[in-house]
Amino acid sequence: MGGQACVLYGAAEFSRDTDFAILASTANLSRLRVALADLKAEVIAVPPFELKYLRKGHAIHFRCHASEADGMRVDVMTKMRGVDSFAKLWHRRVTLQAEDGTSYELMSLPDLVKAKKTQRDKDWPMIRRLVEADYFRHREEPKRSRLGFWFLELRTAELLIELAAEHPKVSRKLIKQRPLLKIAGSATEIDLTEALSEEERLEREADRQYWIPLKAELEQLRRARLRSV
Amino acid sequence: MISAEQLVGEELANWYSLTPMERWRESVKLWREYVAMGGSLDPEPDTQSPFFDPAAPSSRPVDGRSGLRVVRRGRV
Repeated sequence: MGGQACVLYGAAEFSRDTDFAILASTANLSRLRVALADLKAEVIAVPPFELKYLRKGHAIHFRCHASEADGMRVDVMTKMRGVDSFAKLWHRRVTLQAEDGTSYELMSLPDLVKAKKTQRDKDWPMIRRLVEADYFRHREEPKRSRLGFWFLELRTAELLIELAAEHPKVSRKLIKQRPLLKIAGSATEIDLTEALSEEERLEREADRQYWIPLKAELEQLRRARLRSV
Repeated sequence: MISAEQLVGEELANWYSLTPMERWRESVKLWREYVAMGGSLDPEPDTQSPFFDPAAPSSRPVDGRSGLRVVRRGRV
């Protein structure tokens, strides 16, 4: 679900760690512990590797020490703000197969885009590129579901204007879900860019609010760890 | 219709036009070169991340040397 997924979906990203969204269940965690033991992975930060922290929305951070993966970082999460349950994510996943037979199970693009709506600067240009790449790849033969995805997630004013001109009815239908579509058919690029910035600002603020209690808990855990050393 | 080249330039438009597995292969090549040059395997510190911990330990460069450093700077 991290940088590697972004590369596969079309963004130009250089990611040094690997992020996994996993099902938070006792049985699955047992399987994950076996896989992490193969990688000789150690937890390198708070919180500890426990189900209760994953279920709250924390990420668990590992560093691997097995020779073929020495130094590699792995992050595991199970719950993300604004993103559906793991069961739904898994149902909508995309499976890609490499020439060597390796399968990659990716979060679907719409889910990945939702997961990227964070407080961090770097995630927003990434969302823009991901949706642009999908738009350019499929705009000649858009499926209904894709049209909806583009209307709800495109962050490029020029393309939103183009899309609204091509499909005005769909645009109007989705105004309730994305109020800035009200002006997509008539606004200038500048106006729409401003509306997109405001939309981003609100999402980032929502993410900051979401993380306030989680960050406080992380801070407590850090302090407790320091006291125990 | 706006073309990808018009919007994002030729280089990124070419990247968009690759298949997922072509992008994956290019990314793997880049990764191998990065590792061969001794690049750090730790993500760049991201102070905006809720997970950011200024006291977190970092790993050594993969080749055990001192890692990449700037040896010459051009004038800005």
